[in-house]
Amino acid sequence: MKEMIYQTVCPGCNMGCGLYIRENEDGKLAVDFMKSSSANLGKLCRFGMKLPYHYSKSVSMVDGKKASVEYAVKIASDRLSGEDVCVNVNVALLGVGNTTNEESLAFNKIADRMGTIVNTGMGVYSELPTECHPTVGVGVTLNDIENVNRIALFVDPYIQYPLLVRRILAARKNGAYVVSVGLRDLHLADENRYIDPDLYESELGLDSGSVIITELHPNTDTGWVRRMLNLALRTQAKILFMKPFVNAAGVDLLCKGAGQKGIPEIMDGINEGNIKTLVVLDSDPIELMPDSDAAAAILKKLDNLIVITSRDSPVNRIADVVIATEPQYAKAGSFMNVEGRLLNNVHVYGDNNLPSGTAGIDALSTLNQYLGGEAMDYQTLHNKVLESIVRKYTKPKYKELACQVLDIGPVEGQKGNLIYLYNPFMWFDQPDDNDFVLVNMNMVKKLGLRKGGMIALGSDVGTVNIRYRVENMPDGLILSARKLPVATGWITMVSTEAVL
Amino acid sequence: MVEVGDMLVGYATDEDIRSRGASGGLVTAVLAAALEKGLVENVVVMKHINEFEAVPIITDDVKEVLASIGSLHSVPVNLAKYAVGRKVAMPAKPCDAQAVIEQAKRGMIDLDNTYIVGLNCGGSMHPVTTKKMLVEMYDIDPEDVVGEDIKKGKLVFKTKNGEEKALRIDELEEAGFGRRESCRFCTLKIPLNADLACGNWGVIGDLSGSATFCQVMNGKGVKLLENAIKAGRIEVQPASDKAIAIREKVNNVMVDLGNTLEKKILPVIPDEERLQYYIDQLADCVNCGACKEVCPVCACGEDSKCTTFHSLVDNYKMSMYHMVRMLHLADSCISCGQCSDVCPSDIPITLLKSRFAIPSQRKRNYHPGIDLDTPPFFEVMLK
Amino acid sequence: MMTEQEWTPKIVAFCCNWCSYGGADTAGMGRFQQPASVRIIKVMCSGRIDPLHVFNAFLEGADAVLVTGCHLGDCHYVNGNEKTEVRHQFLEEMVQQLGLEPERLYLNWISASEGEKFANFVNDVTEKVKKLGPSPLKPEGVR
Ligand SMILES: Cc1cc2nc3c(=O)[nH]c(=O)nc-3n(C[C@H](O)[C@H](O)[C@H](O)COP(=O)(O)OP(=O)(O)OC[C@H]3O[C@@H](n4cnc5c(N)ncnc54)[C@H](O)[C@@H]3O)c2cc1C
Ligand code: SF4
Ligand code: FES
Repeated sequence: MKEMIYQTVCPGCNMGCGLYIRENEDGKLAVDFMKSSSANLGKLCRFGMKLPYHYSKSVSMVDGKKASVEYAVKIASDRLSGEDVCVNVNVALLGVGNTTNEESLAFNKIADRMGTIVNTGMGVYSELPTECHPTVGVGVTLNDIENVNRIALFVDPYIQYPLLVRRILAARKNGAYVVSVGLRDLHLADENRYIDPDLYESELGLDSGSVIITELHPNTDTGWVRRMLNLALRTQAKILFMKPFVNAAGVDLLCKGAGQKGIPEIMDGINEGNIKTLVVLDSDPIELMPDSDAAAAILKKLDNLIVITSRDSPVNRIADVVIATEPQYAKAGSFMNVEGRLLNNVHVYGDNNLPSGTAGIDALSTLNQYLGGEAMDYQTLHNKVLESIVRKYTKPKYKELACQVLDIGPVEGQKGNLIYLYNPFMWFDQPDDNDFVLVNMNMVKKLGLRKGGMIALGSDVGTVNIRYRVENMPDGLILSARKLPVATGWITMVSTEAVL
Repeated sequence: MVEVGDMLVGYATDEDIRSRGASGGLVTAVLAAALEKGLVENVVVMKHINEFEAVPIITDDVKEVLASIGSLHSVPVNLAKYAVGRKVAMPAKPCDAQAVIEQAKRGMIDLDNTYIVGLNCGGSMHPVTTKKMLVEMYDIDPEDVVGEDIKKGKLVFKTKNGEEKALRIDELEEAGFGRRESCRFCTLKIPLNADLACGNWGVIGDLSGSATFCQVMNGKGVKLLENAIKAGRIEVQPASDKAIAIREKVNNVMVDLGNTLEKKILPVIPDEERLQYYIDQLADCVNCGACKEVCPVCACGEDSKCTTFHSLVDNYKMSMYHMVRMLHLADSCISCGQCSDVCPSDIPITLLKSRFAIPSQRKRNYHPGIDLDTPPFFEVMLK
Repeated sequence: MMTEQEWTPKIVAFCCNWCSYGGADTAGMGRFQQPASVRIIKVMCSGRIDPLHVFNAFLEGADAVLVTGCHLGDCHYVNGNEKTEVRHQFLEEMVQQLGLEPERLYLNWISASEGEKFANFVNDVTEKVKKLGPSPLKPEGVR
């Protein structure tokens, strides 16, 4: 076999970074830079640079044994049309947007067929008035960020969305004033401030020439999103919600339906026995939930767990049926990034008998047919996508929202608030060489932490000894850019102690 | 018969190749012949995606070689790493050839079996900057561009409907567009370190635009040309004295310009401000490692000192990774600009490296990537 | 003013097991007056000292770094110290370009018997570095 070269989009977040994946004669992968890509100029972050470790080939399985795709699809359809599967009551479909628009659309058709909807896992959407939807869905363009007068930053670009760093620096060069209201001091900000949420409007000095950069993910607090929307409304500032999945913007447009459930909600449903069958499309709750072990335990309660995926991830091992599809970079299809730009996968170079990249769609089509639906082909789906999901930034049409914000104020005594700085490594529960937490000097002194030593964190679900790095940040916080076995949510109250 | 040192003007015999080539298609014809006649097993060329995007491929397919024809001034890749561990023929800008030789010094490339068809290079541009420049300075839709050229200090773009528009390069650069920063102060414009040095400087009269000036640098260059002549792919004739003089003159102008611009691009920073300057510049590093991955002279592989001894848990004032790399590249850095291109934080990392490498290299009159006779510093000085 | 007087520089000295480490010992036994500023790191040969060890010392808070070894020709491992000398040239250039004062990095050949030389050397460097003040690379929170 010859070397294959694929032009694709980084699966790490919704930024839409273009890149090449080179698959050599032995199947070994390497990333190459695509300098003309508008979102990233070919530049990649830590996660993008490590993509060869991220992609892994999934294997079709039935009840834990290897099977052909055809057989897996057949069994999946049997399970889905079984007597005890009562559609709309105890079935949930989940597709957070880790695959192409075309596969997501096909998945939606299956949901239609079954009389249900595909959940994108962002519960926030169903809790917000529909008028908010466009504003939350697609933000300002990345180029626009460079030309604003003021940026209010509520994310940590270095750790969470590294490709934002250069946009913000460029904005500063062009005269923008950058205020970070994040959780630690950032070098790229003119000002690092921890402002009382009630004072954002008066303190941040935003106007219609400014932009608010914040984020939205399955574990985001709705109150927070409302507050951000209110801030944008009152100040007339533009707003950009960064999102974690490569096609988060795309699935959001494809899966409008009311009654969207968040991942935590679905997990509760399973735990309480209300959901008996779960079908996931490139979405692994074990990776996505803050507490992996707890998530795995809950999933085991399902009668049917059907996984359609291109990756070998933890959920595959406990699934009843795994339907394997080709790796994401090899799929024919498109993704929509956070600015609403449609980006296509292209098979650039390789063998003459190129695989078509439609194995995933073909499997979904067969499944749909077994369920009594119509056949689906790539081109029709792609045309449909082109028609239905063009999106630009639109002026907010919503009205002031009532909100209450989660308070993460200082904690007493030996306790601390452990907060996840979500980044691509965390969403895919993948190792990064950041086995440490971030704490401030006061905590070091208070606990008597030793240079080069460790801090012990504890909660109801476990304990962990971990190294620490000192940062300028508010008292009582412990930030982590990797999943820790003590966390129960995006934010977890933990005990702290020096390891002697 | 071709001999080392020959100054020739040549072109592809095939009319189609000749007309599609950047200037006569000689380079493409030579590469195709090398593949057809078994001089090499593979050729490294650019797979075009559009006017602003191409990806290097390693191919044994003559069709791909013929399709790669033409100079892409807005595709600033370095081709050296694609030649590592293979027996290939390849086109090479001077910095590609330099990197190939630095890799060879470190045992990663077998130079005897690597054929380097050098291309003169007045500089390359970043594709996104170029697109922006087209809109803002030329008032041309980037989609409409079908070709570009450098003529008399001007950058010329041709559009679908046959129009041409030219603007002075120095004015474009003044406005923040034009060539990449590292190309502006590069002074190796003719690849005397390659096996052949090809370019359009010195192609005059009727042949202008449809032939390439080619200097034969060594025995491999002789082989490449003779092979292509024998295959009936190219025709060459001696260059006139006038042609040679013109090429020389243009080169001198470019080298002088490079020297002048170096002082502008790398101004002296006073002793007491330098440390803070480096600390500030590197403070936005997100530790992606792209600058090392893309570095065409680095031969360390995945487990290297710069990464192994750098830990994210340390919040040192300066990054160990960068300090080690500054030191390691003091001899081999060719200021090709690849690291700046790929840095997600837009750190002018090439300029930082150059600030360390250039003085060290000058002090020892050391020119990286020129020939195998000058091994890495360490060896030279230990004697 | 008070604090400046109290401040003693931290000096990291890499010493070769066969020579300068002995030199340091001799200096101690000979009761030559030596400031408490020096931290000795023993290596089997000066040739073992990688530039990154020197960087590490600075990044961890050293105000000066001394690289010491056997006199040229006396290295126990053929030419370890000659390699050290070559590396040192690069290190010096690097330190200079970085903008760190050149008085913070030294190379010296000291044999096991040269206790007084070692003591004088350390005293000398300490004086110079005291004038310079703390290294600008010293991390926050490190004295
Ligand atoms: C960026 C760039 C700048 C140049 N600037 C000058 C100049 O200032 N003065 C001058 O005399 N000549 C310059 N040249 C060389 C000139 O444009 C012609 O390439 C040369 O005259 C050979 O012409 P040809 O018709 O034989 O080449 P062709 O037969 O058209 O072959 C061109 C070859 O170059 C390769 N190539 C194309 N783009 C690149 C790239 N970006 N990097 C590496 N390889 C590439 C292709 O794969 C192909 O093999 C430049 C070339 C490049 C790529
Ligand atoms: S490319 Fe830039 S961000 Fe990445 S490691 Fe290099 S300097 Fe740091
Ligand atoms: S043994 Fe002392 S320097 Fe080598």
